[in-house]
Amino acid sequence: MMSEAAKIITGTNEAINKRETANELVVMDRVGKVYPTGTVAVTDVSLTVGEGEFISFVGPSGCGKSTIFNMITGLQENTSGKLSVLGTTPKQARQHNEIAFVFQEHTLLPWCSIIDNVTMPLQLRGVSKKERNEAAERVLELVGLKDYTKALPRQLSGGMKMRVSIARALVSRPKLLLMDEPFDALDEITRQTLQEELVSIWSKDQKMSVMFITHNVYEAVYLSNKIVVMTPRPGKVSEIIEVPNKNRDEEFRTSPEFNQYLRRASEALKH
Amino acid sequence: MANELVGTLQQVAEVKKPLSENKVMKAIKTALPTLVVLVVFLAGWEIIVSLLGIKKFILPKPSDIWEAALANQANLLNAIWTTIKESVIGFLFSVVLGVGSAILLALSKTIERSIYPYAIILQTIPIVAIAPIIVIWIGAGINAIVTITFIISFFPILSNTLIGLNSTDKNMSNLFYLYNASRFQTIIKLRIPAALPYIMAGLKISCSLAVVGAIVGEYIAGVGGGDGGLGYSITVAAARMQIPYLFACGLAASVLGVSFFLIVNAFSKLMLRSWHESEMK
Repeated sequence: MMSEAAKIITGTNEAINKRETANELVVMDRVGKVYPTGTVAVTDVSLTVGEGEFISFVGPSGCGKSTIFNMITGLQENTSGKLSVLGTTPKQARQHNEIAFVFQEHTLLPWCSIIDNVTMPLQLRGVSKKERNEAAERVLELVGLKDYTKALPRQLSGGMKMRVSIARALVSRPKLLLMDEPFDALDEITRQTLQEELVSIWSKDQKMSVMFITHNVYEAVYLSNKIVVMTPRPGKVSEIIEVPNKNRDEEFRTSPEFNQYLRRASEALKH
Repeated sequence: MANELVGTLQQVAEVKKPLSENKVMKAIKTALPTLVVLVVFLAGWEIIVSLLGIKKFILPKPSDIWEAALANQANLLNAIWTTIKESVIGFLFSVVLGVGSAILLALSKTIERSIYPYAIILQTIPIVAIAPIIVIWIGAGINAIVTITFIISFFPILSNTLIGLNSTDKNMSNLFYLYNASRFQTIIKLRIPAALPYIMAGLKISCSLAVVGAIVGEYIAGVGGGDGGLGYSITVAAARMQIPYLFACGLAASVLGVSFFLIVNAFSKLMLRSWHESEMK
């Protein structure tokens, strides 16, 4: 009897906890990572990523932003603090197929057509061909490449390959999109176009959260509504800057307000 | 943006355009220098040998070799056919077992560490030392010859495939891992296709080795008579001092090796040309 009552109470507590964190996709509480060699990669990182948020991590090389990503994806484990993703451990969260990834390299399979590349995450899950094709049509339309389903990656330009890579990430309708310096290998003009497209895709899907790594402060301010500024040795959060939601257009890019955020982020980088 | 799209469309269209006539012209153009050298070489050989009056049994002229080949036509064709059979069967065994065991070794580092060194040792033992043992174990004839062919052509395929399977792009394998791909899916959809250029390189080395292997095998383990293959014909021709025929057999063996290589090369082009740098124009 006692134990059952205890179970009910624990159950209720869990339900309450769940409701509290329902809108928080990632919760980091004093998370740290120390390598076996004794190197401190990151220390004392506390932050949350809410539903529909666009959060950027900006900082120089070695500030631990990639380590944070690797911990969230489960490629690495944190050595201190608490980290929950989608209300569970990173590794279990990944099993739900609600997290998607875009890397600095496009990581497309050179021997597969664009459509096969885009639907690869679905194919690995055993989704039927008909469903896969529908999904591919939707996301390729979204990135403006629906006429290229049969092409091979090498026939596309760098910017187009990155679009395909983004389409592949969106194909499973993720709740959380992790992007690790996705536009770093692109030229400035393509980079701006893709930034605009990313913002428009994100603002259409109110529920998708984006975590975006960059070392470009400008990019961080333009894209995100929360900027996590990080400093190295050891990697830690220097400041979290909120950028209120507004139209991310040419006007915003050239406004005095934009410059203020830019300056604030740059200041924080020097701490 | 628009320009980018148009450019790519043109590129795609170009790839699809049939160019068969141009292709023939191109092939002739590429082959021409090689053919010219061949003709000059043969003519020079013929002329110099007849001018210096070198004896047939020291260095026969190309025309003598051709005559000897015609005179022994039935025997020669039979020998060539036997050697083709043996080298193809041995080669196919080494492809299947070479790629297969490379996949096994690549699946687990422990298996690789425990077995791969022995594969290397097997490779370093001279085939002429193993061949007599093989003949003692399984008897002279086609089985022994195929086995020897297999032993010679197996290792390049194994080691190339293994290197290929182990050099998958780290980002790609991370991606597969993050999308919860099973080990089987990763092997089939990522590691084997990515290793294909390496596998093809292994096949190219092994196919010529297979012909050498078959001839060495026939030399040591061949049966007499018409079914002896080129290796046996060579030993017979040498023993009887039929030097022009000996040359004919040797040349036939090398033509066989080259044709075998060209076939495998064409296969490699077919498999890789759409995506891998090595086989693009």
